[in-house]
Amino acid sequence: MSAAISTPAQAGKFAASSARAVLWLLRARAILVLVLLLVFFTSMSPTFLTTNNISILAKHVAISAILAIGMSFVVLAGGIDLSVGSVAGLGGMIAGYVLTQGIIIGGSIYYPPVVVAVLLTFAICLVVGFLNGWLISKAGVAPFIATLGTLYIARGAALLISNGKTFPNLAGLSSRGNTGFDLLGQSFLLGLPVSVWIMFLLFAAAAILAAKTPFGRHVYAVGGNERAARLAGIRVPRVKLMTYLFSAFCAALVGLIIASQLEAAHPATGESFELNAIAAVVLGGTSLMGGRGSVVGSLIGAFVIGVLADGLVMLGVSEFWQIVIKGVVIVMAVAVDQLQSRLQSKFLPYLSQASGEVGN
Amino acid sequence: MVRRYRRTSTLIVCVLVYLALFVAGCRRADFSRPLIVILVPSQDNPFFKAEGEAAAERALTLGYRVRVDAHNDDAYRQDNLIDAAIASNAAALILDNAGAEASIAAVRRATKAGIPCFLIDRAIDIDGVAKAQIIADNHQGAKVVAAEFARAIGVRGGEYAELLGRESDTNAQIRTKGFHSVLDKQPSLKMVSAQSANWSQSEAFQKTETMLQAHANLVGIVAGNDTMALGAVAAVKSAGIKNILITGFDGSPDALAAIASGDLQATTMQPAVLIARLAVDEANQFLKTGRTGKAERQVIACDLVTKANVTDYRDFEKIR
Repeated sequence: MSAAISTPAQAGKFAASSARAVLWLLRARAILVLVLLLVFFTSMSPTFLTTNNISILAKHVAISAILAIGMSFVVLAGGIDLSVGSVAGLGGMIAGYVLTQGIIIGGSIYYPPVVVAVLLTFAICLVVGFLNGWLISKAGVAPFIATLGTLYIARGAALLISNGKTFPNLAGLSSRGNTGFDLLGQSFLLGLPVSVWIMFLLFAAAAILAAKTPFGRHVYAVGGNERAARLAGIRVPRVKLMTYLFSAFCAALVGLIIASQLEAAHPATGESFELNAIAAVVLGGTSLMGGRGSVVGSLIGAFVIGVLADGLVMLGVSEFWQIVIKGVVIVMAVAVDQLQSRLQSKFLPYLSQASGEVGN
Repeated sequence: MVRRYRRTSTLIVCVLVYLALFVAGCRRADFSRPLIVILVPSQDNPFFKAEGEAAAERALTLGYRVRVDAHNDDAYRQDNLIDAAIASNAAALILDNAGAEASIAAVRRATKAGIPCFLIDRAIDIDGVAKAQIIADNHQGAKVVAAEFARAIGVRGGEYAELLGRESDTNAQIRTKGFHSVLDKQPSLKMVSAQSANWSQSEAFQKTETMLQAHANLVGIVAGNDTMALGAVAAVKSAGIKNILITGFDGSPDALAAIASGDLQATTMQPAVLIARLAVDEANQFLKTGRTGKAERQVIACDLVTKANVTDYRDFEKIR
């Protein structure tokens, strides 16, 4: 490597440690970018690093993070879910319909409590998730096409529910006994919005699910090599179905949180959310080919996108530049991902040699 | 080795380009001055662009720091942008909102956080939350343009068609009511077709082509906005038909050009620039004295624009 290093053993050690450092930097890139962004925005805007703004920032990140956590499993299993934005929109509209229009039972209108509205929303959104899973694992439709179809179906259904109109006043009426929906998106717990706690809870559950349970291992196995997974006795269709169900569940959660924040359900809510979620997953180092990546990466990816979006707004950067910068960040992330896997295979001999020396 | 260096240098160049983009997009502002945040529906539509720029210009002259953002008619994005305004300790918010009902909670939250809101162009369905709601008089505007339509067709009368805006939009409903409050009183005029073209030029083009096939005796088309009117103009031209009178609504630069060239009979100009300046002035008044001195709901009249006075207007503003 350098003229100053004389013996081969020393050269090997030097190469191994620098290779380790480079790989470590590449692997930790998402969190490094996040730290860089935080430092940059704090130095540019005095109101950026205030408790008030961090709480607001976390609330915004929660939306794309929840979707990204759901999306992680789908992508890890080698699929993709384009329908999450539409499902979120549909979820909000179902809750809005039940809370403001009620359910007709036996000719009279009945206004169910909030819990029923929420459960009904999850039930219908999970049907969309089931449809995705069934189309992909049983009918053999490619994930991109199947979820593109359900993207349109769910969006159309959301528009049909209200004929394109908004359902306002979701806070409910005490005379109908259905108040309390606004708490989900607008109340605080220990200084942080409830939606942020939901994000952290969901993340903890998902991280354990991915790393410590048989289901999580099966997801990685299916994404890594589907044929090998099937031969090893994993029920591949069932694993795939579960990932789409979980993704739809997360999307429904996002739809409910947004409708609660706005106290209104609009059928166009959630347009292009799926792209933000996919971007967060990719930024977090999960391979779109499946089998490689982590849930924690997706969470960090969602933070990178959220910090970037809010920070640029606070600096007053023009909207058009914001779009360009976001695109540049995503492309760079994937380019660095490729670089990492190439370097990893190239450095492998150095690393094994170094570890051999340590063994001696 | 050389190949690896080339790869690394490519990566470094990428990073530098990215940083350059980043710095180019940023400008360090003077944080000592109070901030006025201006939210408009989009920055690539001439109407909202003129509105946002007029408000920004007036606020800068009055000594404020300014930030203009677009919510793209997405209530959730609007919500996030209002959060950002709260986090930046904005002194006031000038808002062209993303929906009369869906915006109520966001405006209420900003007001609660101590940011007075001044609504322009579109109202919300609640009183006493925003400090001002200044909108163009769509009903009056529709009436004057319909009167010009009837006058230009004259006593011979005939069959006419209407292109409506998006049906869920309140302004579409107010405008068509305004048109009909005048046109329905003209016994010689008969409406043979009314189609929604969703404010869109291409949809208006297709709908007009179909209507021209079905109704050969059409003498005029009333459109709910200029974009649809220009779609109708293009369809009539491509069909090679003459003597069909078309009117629009809004006063967009393209429509003014079409009026000057005689393709469009008339439009009505929404005073977007005037409204934006009024809102900033009232915000300034409110920040200085604690009151705007005006009623919350204010309605500003629209001007009729025809070939006779088209040179008096430019970019949603009366210049003469």
